[in-house]
Amino acid sequence: MIRAILGPLMKNMPFLFGIGFLAPLTKEVLVLSHVSLGVPPLAIGLVIGGTWGAFATWKGRWI
Amino acid sequence: MNTSTVTLPDNLSALSSQELMRLEKQIADQFMGGLPWGSICWGLGNLVVWLSLWPLTLSGILPLWIAFPIATLNVMLSYLPSHEAQHRIIAQEGDKLFWLNELVGNLSTIPMVLPYEVARLTHLEHHKHTNDPELDPDIGTKAKGPWHSILNSIRNRQPGSKAGAAYGATLQRLGTPAAERAGLIALVFQLSYLAILFTLAWTGHALVAALIWWLPRHIAQTYIQFYLSWAPHHPGTETGRYRNTRSFRSVVGNIGSMGMQFHIIHHLYPRIPLMQTPAAYWALKPVLEARGCQLDGL
Repeated sequence: MIRAILGPLMKNMPFLFGIGFLAPLTKEVLVLSHVSLGVPPLAIGLVIGGTWGAFATWKGRWI
Repeated sequence: MNTSTVTLPDNLSALSSQELMRLEKQIADQFMGGLPWGSICWGLGNLVVWLSLWPLTLSGILPLWIAFPIATLNVMLSYLPSHEAQHRIIAQEGDKLFWLNELVGNLSTIPMVLPYEVARLTHLEHHKHTNDPELDPDIGTKAKGPWHSILNSIRNRQPGSKAGAAYGATLQRLGTPAAERAGLIALVFQLSYLAILFTLAWTGHALVAALIWWLPRHIAQTYIQFYLSWAPHHPGTETGRYRNTRSFRSVVGNIGSMGMQFHIIHHLYPRIPLMQTPAAYWALKPVLEARGCQLDGL
């Protein structure tokens, strides 16, 4: 049971990390540095964090 | 700091291997025992400082640019007190102060998100199988040189890294109830760490979480793997009591490398407290030379 829940969770952890941490972190950095791209900063954060996390999940590496 | 009271014979090469071993143990024995108060205060004090950074930064009392280097230093300093506990240097099972040993062991590595039992079980395997390509859980830190070591450390932390999963693999190989429990605790630690980071980030404190925990932990892991694992075991090709670890002269000195210049003493006598290893090294140096140890200019 635990394995069935945690297996997929751990496998997709880089993507979750991208959404759960990198996205709001990117938003905070954008807000603090007064960068405006005409899109809500959180949306940019979600795109960057989500894409980067998805890449790390797919490739098994962040860089 | 202790000094040796054992008088060495003029010509150590005239001694048999057994006589040399007897002499070595006689010298080493003088540096064991006693309560390492320095490491106890270091472990607990370091955790208190790191924990205090959270309310201080979240309330705006302490600027993040000051808290960040302090936090980085805290995480870098968090491993070694636990290491003393892993070897039961503070107190052994059955001793009156064993609780203190376990307290320091369990608490000091919290900033690293490294459970004490995982650290202890895998570290004892490292001692048992130092430089063994299959069985040493730290063999993944082996590298050609300093820059390669730093790159390797970053590479080992990538999600798909085999070396990064070495501690989990070691616990699985051990297969004991204690190892299974340690694996479960590691999972709880990892999930709790991520839950805290995500919660802080989504409540508007992502930068605080990044600069007090996430980034300091990455920097500290690189430092720890460099000085505590790569440098003292380099080149990591030999096994055997006198050749699997070396002494070396660090460009950042003994404090900057957290005493690892004398790590060879730790592998020979793991019960000698960290702060006694320099004195033990100088007292044992003629014996180490007679044994053909790699002393690399120290």
